[in-house]
Amino acid sequence: MANLRTCLAFLFLCCSLCDAVYEDQVGKFDWRQQYVGKVLFAHFESHSQASKKLILATDKNIVASLNPRTGDLFWRQVDKAGPEGHIDTLLFHGQDAVVVTGNGRLLRSWESSVGALNWEMLLDPGSFLAAVLVGTQDSVKFVAVLKKATVSLHYLSNGHQKWTETLPDSDTVHYQAVYSSGGSQLFVLGVVPHSHLSIITFNIEDGEITSQCNSAVCFSSEVLVIQARCTVVGQGVLICADASTLSLYMLPLSSEEPVGLQQSLDLDLALGFQPVLLTTQPNPARPPLAQFFLQLGPDHHVLLQLSDGHLSPLRDFQPAFLVSFATTGEKTVAAVLSPKNETACSVSLYSADSGRRLLDTTVTIHLDPNGGKPEKLYVHAFLKKDDSVGYRVLVQTEDHTITFLQQPGRIVWTREEALADVVTMEMVDLPLTGTQAELEGEFGKKADGLAAMVLKRLSSQLILLQAWIAHLWKLFYDARKPRSQVKNEVTIETLARDEFNLQKMMVMVTASGKLFGIDSKSGMVLWKHYLRNVQPNAVFKLMVQRTTAHFPHPPQCTLLIKDKETGLAALHVFNPIFGKKSHVTPPTLSRPVLQSLLLPLMDQDYSKVLLLIDDEYKVTAFPSTKNVLQQLQEMASAIYFFLVDASQGKLSGFRLRKDLSTELIWEVVIPPEVQKIVAVKGKRANEHVHSQGRVMGDRSVLYKYLNPNLLAVVTESVDTHQERSFVGVFLIDGVTGRIIHEAVQRKARGPIHLVHSENWVVYEYWNAKSRRNEFSVLELFEGTELYNSTVFSSLDRPHLPQVLQQSYIFPSSISTMEATLTEKGITSRHLLVGLPSGAILSLPKMFLDPRRPEMATEQSREENLIPYAPEMPIRTEWFINYNQSVTRVRGIYTAPSGLESTCLVVAYGLDIFQTRVYPSKQFDVLKDDYDYVLISSVLFGLFFATMISKRLAQVKLLNRAWR
Amino acid sequence: NAVPTGGMEEVAVSTRGGGGTRRMKWALELSLGNTRSRGDRQSSQGDTLYPIGYSDKPVPDTSVQEADRNLVEKRCWDVALGPLKQIPMNLFIMYMSGNTISIFPIMMVCMMAWRPIQALMSLSATFKLLESSSQQWLQGIVYLIGNLLGSALAIYKCQSMGLLPTHSSDWLAFIEPPQRMEIMGGGMVL
Repeated sequence: MANLRTCLAFLFLCCSLCDAVYEDQVGKFDWRQQYVGKVLFAHFESHSQASKKLILATDKNIVASLNPRTGDLFWRQVDKAGPEGHIDTLLFHGQDAVVVTGNGRLLRSWESSVGALNWEMLLDPGSFLAAVLVGTQDSVKFVAVLKKATVSLHYLSNGHQKWTETLPDSDTVHYQAVYSSGGSQLFVLGVVPHSHLSIITFNIEDGEITSQCNSAVCFSSEVLVIQARCTVVGQGVLICADASTLSLYMLPLSSEEPVGLQQSLDLDLALGFQPVLLTTQPNPARPPLAQFFLQLGPDHHVLLQLSDGHLSPLRDFQPAFLVSFATTGEKTVAAVLSPKNETACSVSLYSADSGRRLLDTTVTIHLDPNGGKPEKLYVHAFLKKDDSVGYRVLVQTEDHTITFLQQPGRIVWTREEALADVVTMEMVDLPLTGTQAELEGEFGKKADGLAAMVLKRLSSQLILLQAWIAHLWKLFYDARKPRSQVKNEVTIETLARDEFNLQKMMVMVTASGKLFGIDSKSGMVLWKHYLRNVQPNAVFKLMVQRTTAHFPHPPQCTLLIKDKETGLAALHVFNPIFGKKSHVTPPTLSRPVLQSLLLPLMDQDYSKVLLLIDDEYKVTAFPSTKNVLQQLQEMASAIYFFLVDASQGKLSGFRLRKDLSTELIWEVVIPPEVQKIVAVKGKRANEHVHSQGRVMGDRSVLYKYLNPNLLAVVTESVDTHQERSFVGVFLIDGVTGRIIHEAVQRKARGPIHLVHSENWVVYEYWNAKSRRNEFSVLELFEGTELYNSTVFSSLDRPHLPQVLQQSYIFPSSISTMEATLTEKGITSRHLLVGLPSGAILSLPKMFLDPRRPEMATEQSREENLIPYAPEMPIRTEWFINYNQSVTRVRGIYTAPSGLESTCLVVAYGLDIFQTRVYPSKQFDVLKDDYDYVLISSVLFGLFFATMISKRLAQVKLLNRAWR
Repeated sequence: NAVPTGGMEEVAVSTRGGGGTRRMKWALELSLGNTRSRGDRQSSQGDTLYPIGYSDKPVPDTSVQEADRNLVEKRCWDVALGPLKQIPMNLFIMYMSGNTISIFPIMMVCMMAWRPIQALMSLSATFKLLESSSQQWLQGIVYLIGNLLGSALAIYKCQSMGLLPTHSSDWLAFIEPPQRMEIMGGGMVL
């Protein structure tokens, strides 16, 4: 009976918590953007006029198809992250996109129109070297895959292996290319460094080695000191470029007795540059073209032609950054991208046969001054009606932007693929409008006479009225137009804070070093800024030094970029609303920076003080005005910081001295040979806790232990054996180094996800014994008495808090976890859990409460405690992103809005998803479907009814008096 | 059976005919004892006209007698004991309404609390009422005690319903977050 009752109570609670999105709310407050990442391979599907597609393979292990008209995704296939799903090559023929993934692990064929998997083949082990489509008798039937020791041939139609052959001397010969020209032979080319070239010919039908040639005779040994760059050109002529002798070597493959020819070209090679050969084979069943590009320097290309065993330059392109071949029908053209001026590049077409420039084929590309240089060029050529060649170009720049252009330089679309790899982000309030700022400013200024103040007040009120009328007029004007025509264009000029501060600026930092400013309401990129010379493995830390609250001072964000190799850091100071670099000069950091610390202190310009700690534990302040230094001297004794060195397992606490040096005050060593520190989390600086305690069933208070200096340190055992592995959780006071609590979870393993907020820590781990994911929650209470209710000092807290802990089984593994955050902290908290399936679960913190009783009692019911159940449910109504899955979610960012009930959420990973969540429902907002018409008509009706009845009553009274 | 119905109808018709007769706009009645409908009011007063100030009811004797004094005393005690007599009734209502917080118990409690307070506020008026009694002071004190008991009962009821801020949890919302004495930050070595 009791069980039934608890079940009922539980069900009731669950029902009351359901808060899914209604159908008509889809896309109203949320948006999702899908990305694919940096493009590695791109092909244009051009065999049929009707369905044009762009097939891409990217560094995020994705094969995708884009609509060339809009840049939208047709389909996207996401493989495993990491090297296991890495795309080695993408070959495209007809409707099939053939992909080799995971360093030659799998061979897959995707159907290009719908993105369905045609077939998948597991390849023999061995590291992948090359793959090529093989055609016989003018039709492409096979795919040849070259691995370190084997070469195999697969049918294109079903992936079945036709044959596989081991390569001779695979331990000495570095095989690097496989080639076929439509005949019955397959050539495998290899190089033995310092010695010779090896060419093996296979019969396509049965895989028999028909000839094996060591061309030691033809190529002198010093040619091959460095691995030569070789390709096949024309009717089976192997061409190798050699940097040392500035010459090209030719070797006919098919002749019985290969005779090498050496031809030196009087071309000058850029210093230290390896020459690169670029050829084209428009049809795998035919030999490649006799024309090819030779790159001699970063901006120097030469178009060469092979005719009658003799090489002749057709045209010299200098400067030319990028070159590419494109074929349409029987025509092959060469596209050359050359710089025009500082901010523009131009692409021109040249006939591949003659090197002549085709008329009216120039496309001008305007480069974004805040963007990167072009990096890759993909050309899609097509025949126009008048038989001339038209084309479109896909340009990829260093900042991972892909731009699709058509003649004469019109940008069809642009995709910011850097956003597929967001590292960190912040949300910044939008500035007030001019009129609002005017009003705000009025209160800030000093009084200058009563009459002047009144006048100013009146004038500003008048301006407000004017703005309001203009707004009403606009509403009225827009209401007459059909809905589709009304566009709420967001531009950087019209940006202004809305009534409830629900619209914010998302400042996103991506791994490529590109910064974005995105409007949180529409998801539109409002500004972007590419930071050149950011190393690929750099570490970023973004801080908001000044918010928009200090008009007329502009808001200010600071990005700390640390190069992992050198340890040196640089600061990029910018305005988060406009993306412009600030004129404030950041300090030059000559020593490697270990950590940074944003103090709540402000200088006279209201910018918070940033402290940077270098490897000698000296502190640099930014800004470092006299005022700041003086404040720092006064405050120095209260400023502490901690550093965690995971490699040595050392946590150390420091205190600032007046001369900005530091002294070590505590040190905790967690032996790195037993366990390693995986995560350290403090509390968020902008977190507010409204309630200082919890009301118990008997109406007494259990006070929370709200130590702002508390750190949660999670360790994992080095020994990963199922029986001996463990997860440790330490709660350490960051000021004193006192270990408040330590817990060890035996037979548990990472990856561990941790949230630390208010007086609780929630972490998730893998229980190796029971083989399941578990959540564990730690809650700290001070007891029924507060030690000191006015100030909190870690140095004066003699009593240890009471720690409660409970664990739950969670039915899924998780990718990331974050807690909701609201303005005043009145609203109940939810945990936002990113699942590997792409869903984002909003889990009420109520379920993760160590005070949940095993048996429901009167008091626990009074407290609204749900009886303990080991299984944590996943309810589909709790998915805040309904069917808008966020693939590979890596982080969730939460920000408070102006409404206490509302928390803004951004989930980022491969996709970016933004929405609002209402953990306690919208208690401070009228419902979306609130019936204004009914309510106002009832009100007016009642008002008039009162008026009329009053009048009637008067008449009646008068009449009665007359009687 | 059909005949009486027909008769009834005839009556109705005739009455309607009577109502339909034209009324005069005004009329001056000079003769008395006219049986016209207009004179109904006067006819009820009787046929004779009395002089001004004449009343046909006998005037009571207003002189104070000994029996009346006892009556006043009794009446005053009634007033003084009124609040005390209410208490058992209130107790019963209290018991019936329970300790849950919903609209009816709240209304009951409000009424229970409001009545003694109102009485205490109009204490001087009640005292004036009791002035005529000889045991005025005793009655006044009894009345006061009765009302105080009534309000105490109301407070007790509030207390048992949990409406009084007597627990620490009731003051929880007013506790300000403690001020932070130290500034701390840092993290993993970047």
